[in-house]
Amino acid sequence: MKIPRFSRKTLGIPYAVFLLFFVIIPMLVILFYAFTTGVKDPVTGAESFSFSFSNFLRFFSDPTKLSTIVYSLVIALVTTVLCLLIAYPVAYILARSKLKKKFVILMLFVLPMWINFVLRVNALREIFNLLSLAPALEGLTSANYFKTIFGMVYDFLPFMILPLYTTIMKIDQSLYEASADLGGGAFTTFTRVTLPLSMPGIMSGVTMVFLPSMTNYVVSDMLGNAKVTIIGKFIYEYFGNDWHMGSMVALVLLIVVFLSSWLSGGFTADENVRGTNL
Amino acid sequence: MNKRWFSALLAGVMLFPAAGTLASCAGERAELVLKVYNWEEYIDEGGEGTFVFDELHELDDKGKPVKDASGNHVHIESDIVDDDYKAWYEEATGVPLSEEGPAILDDFELWYQKNYGVKVKVEYSTFGTNEDMYNELLLGNEYDLLCPSDYMIMKLAAENRLEKYDAAFFDPEREENYYIRNVSPFIQEKFETNAGLAGKEYTWSEYAAGYMWGTTGFVYNPEIVSEDELRELDWQVFITKGEKYTNKITAKDNVRDTYFAALGVTFEEELKALKERRESGEISAEEYMLRLTERFNDTSEETIAKVEPILQKIKENIYSFETDTGKADLVNGNVNLNYAWSGDAVYAMDLAETENEKELNYFVPEGGSNLWFDGWVMPKGIDAEHKQAAQAFVNFLSMPENAMRNSYYIGYTSAISGSEMEMLDYADYLYGYEFDPKEEEEPEETVEYDLGWFFGQEDASITATREQAERRQLYAQYPPEAVMARCAVMDYYGQEATVHINELWSRVKAETLDGWAIVVICLTVCGIALFAIFVKFGAKIDLFRPKPKKGYHRVDPD
Repeated sequence: MKIPRFSRKTLGIPYAVFLLFFVIIPMLVILFYAFTTGVKDPVTGAESFSFSFSNFLRFFSDPTKLSTIVYSLVIALVTTVLCLLIAYPVAYILARSKLKKKFVILMLFVLPMWINFVLRVNALREIFNLLSLAPALEGLTSANYFKTIFGMVYDFLPFMILPLYTTIMKIDQSLYEASADLGGGAFTTFTRVTLPLSMPGIMSGVTMVFLPSMTNYVVSDMLGNAKVTIIGKFIYEYFGNDWHMGSMVALVLLIVVFLSSWLSGGFTADENVRGTNL
Repeated sequence: MNKRWFSALLAGVMLFPAAGTLASCAGERAELVLKVYNWEEYIDEGGEGTFVFDELHELDDKGKPVKDASGNHVHIESDIVDDDYKAWYEEATGVPLSEEGPAILDDFELWYQKNYGVKVKVEYSTFGTNEDMYNELLLGNEYDLLCPSDYMIMKLAAENRLEKYDAAFFDPEREENYYIRNVSPFIQEKFETNAGLAGKEYTWSEYAAGYMWGTTGFVYNPEIVSEDELRELDWQVFITKGEKYTNKITAKDNVRDTYFAALGVTFEEELKALKERRESGEISAEEYMLRLTERFNDTSEETIAKVEPILQKIKENIYSFETDTGKADLVNGNVNLNYAWSGDAVYAMDLAETENEKELNYFVPEGGSNLWFDGWVMPKGIDAEHKQAAQAFVNFLSMPENAMRNSYYIGYTSAISGSEMEMLDYADYLYGYEFDPKEEEEPEETVEYDLGWFFGQEDASITATREQAERRQLYAQYPPEAVMARCAVMDYYGQEATVHINELWSRVKAETLDGWAIVVICLTVCGIALFAIFVKFGAKIDLFRPKPKKGYHRVDPD
C-alpha cells in the first residue's frame, strides 16, 4: 500500500472545497432558481419546479426594475466618484508627506471601520436629526438621496483611502526626481508619473466601493428613510416571498457587476493591484 | 525532560474541554430538547425591567432601580407580586421566587420536570419577520413551536405545514390545560370562527393557540395634532398636506400594513358610510364585520389600480417607511404621527413619559382598522414526545401569572384573560385609578371602563381616568368594544394575489423612469462600455496603433 504523499497541492484542497461549497454551488443554485418557477402542491406543500424564462421576461419588461438598476448604478457611481475625489488628495498627502505621525492620521481615517457599521449609520442618522435639516431639505425627495449618498461615502471612504495610500507609497522616489530632472513641473509629474502609477490602487478602490454601494440597502433604509430603493433591497424583499424572481434580480446584478469590473480592468493580471491590507 | 512534561500538560489542558463536551453530550441524551422559534424580544427574559424585578424593587422616575448608599437595590413589597404570587411560583417551579427576576424559559424547564417528570431543555431562537421565519422553515430547519402572525399561520396551514393541537388540549376539565381555561373568550371565538383560505375546511384554533394580539393605529403628539383633527381626517391624514402632516408621519416598511392603510385612505367614505349604516341599525354587526373584512382584504386588480396612486401620494407625504425607527422618531419629535401596532404604541407612550416627560396618545381610525394576532403553532411531523412538551409550553405561558410577566415585558396585550379575570386585576393595577387624598387635592375625572367583551363577563370593568380610557395605554392595550367592532383581520391573500401586491409594492417603493429615459440611459451605458472595450483592446489592434514617425524607428522588444 502506498501512503499518499503530502505535497503542496494537498494544501489547496481545503480551498477548493471551500470555493465549491460557498461560491460555485450557491451560484448554480441562484442560476437554477432564476430560470425556474415553482408550483406548490396544495396538499403536501412540496414545491415542484419547472424550467421557465418567465422571470427573465418579467424582469426585462418591468420598467420599475430596470429603473431601479439605473438608480442603483447612478447612486453607486456618484458614491465612487465622491470617494475617489475625497480619498485621493488624502492618500497622496499622507503618502508623500514627511510627517512623523502620518500613520496616526491614516489610522484616524480607518478607525471608524472598526466600529459596527449599523451603529455608525444610526449615529449618522441622529446627527442629521440633530442638525435638523428639516426646513431646508426635508421637503425634497432629493434630501433622502443626499443623505443616502452621504452615508455611503462616509462608510466606504476607508476602502478607497487604503489601496490608494499603499500604491502611492510604493512609487519609487527616484521617478519623481527623474521627472524633475527632465523638466517636468508639479502638474506634469502628477499626470505623467503619479496618476498612471497609482492606477492599480484607483482600480481596486473603485471596485471595493462601487460594488457594495449598489446593494447596501441598510444605508438607504436608515438614512434615506426607506424612500430610496436600491437593487439590494429588491433582492431582500423578493427573497421573503418569491425566491425565483429574487434569484433573477440577483443574477442580473451579478452580470452588471461582472461587466463593470471587467471593463474597468478589475481583472487585469496586474501584480501591482494592492488590497487594503486588512 | 521539561519539554515532555510541558507537552503532556498541554495535551491534558486541551483534552479538558473535549472531555467536558463529551460529558455534557451524555447528559443531554436523557433530556428532551424543545426548539422554540419566536419573535425577537417577545418573551420575559428575566433580570432588570421584568415584571417581577420591577415590582419588587424601588424604581426612580426613569424606571431604573434605585440604589442605596452601599450600591444595593432597594427591595419593596408589591401589591401584585404578593405572597400569593410567590407561593404560586414556588408551587409551580419548586424553587422560591428570585427577586432578581427569573427568566420564563428557565421556569418552564423546572415546571415541566416537576409536573411531567421529564427533563427538558428549551432551545430558543428568534426571528425578525414572518418571512424570515417562513424561509427558515422552508430550508428545513426543525422547530417544535413557532409564533407567526395571523396571515402566516393561514399560509402555513394552507400549505399543510402545521400539526393540529390534540383535541384533549381544548378540554377545560383536564388540570394541565391552562390555555383553554384562561384564554379570553373573545380571542377563542375569533380563532374558532376565522377560517383559512376559501374552500379550506378548518379554523385557526385547530392549529394555533393565541399569544399576543392588538390593533393598529396612530400614535401621535397631542400638543401638535389634536384628537379632533385626527378624528376628522382619519385615514386621510396619510395624504393630507400641511406643516403638521407632510413629512411628519411614518408608515410601515412592509407591504401588508401599508397596503391596509392605503385601502383605508382609498375607501374612507365607503367605510364611514358602512359604519353609519351599522350604527343606525340598518345592517347587523355580523354583516358589518363581513363587509369590512372583505374591503380590507380586497386584492382585486381594479382595487390595486385604485390604491396605487394613493400609495404614491402616501409615499410623497410621509417622512419614512420604517420598521422600528418610528417610535424613536416620534419620541424625539422628528415626526408627529407614527402608524404603529398597539404594543409599540404602548412602548412609545411609556418611553416618552419616562425619557421626555411628554404624553403621547393613541388613536384607532374611525373608518376601521386592523386586528392582528400572533399564535403558537407546531410544524407538521412533530413527534408525540415533543408535541406534549410544546403544548405544555403553551399551557405554561397561559397561566395568568406568566401572561402578566410576558405582557409587561413585551408591552403587547396577552390573549389570556384568566379564569378568575386575573388579567383584569393586572390591567387595573397598571392603569386603574384610585383617588389618593394624600397626593392629590381633588380627584380626576374617571369612567367605568367596560372590558366585558374581552373577559366574557358582564361585570368586568376598571375605574380609570378619562385620559387612560380614551387615548392612553389602557385604550391601546385593551381597546373599548366600540373600537374592536371596527377592526378587521387581515387574511393571507393567497400566492397569486401576494405576487400582485408585491409587484405593486416595488412599483411604489422604487422610482420608475419613463421608457425613453431607460432607452437613453441604456444606450449611454452601451456607449461607455464600447468605449471601455476600445480603450482596453484598442491598443492590440493594428489599426489603432500609432504609426512610427518617418525617419525614426522604434525598436519593439516583441
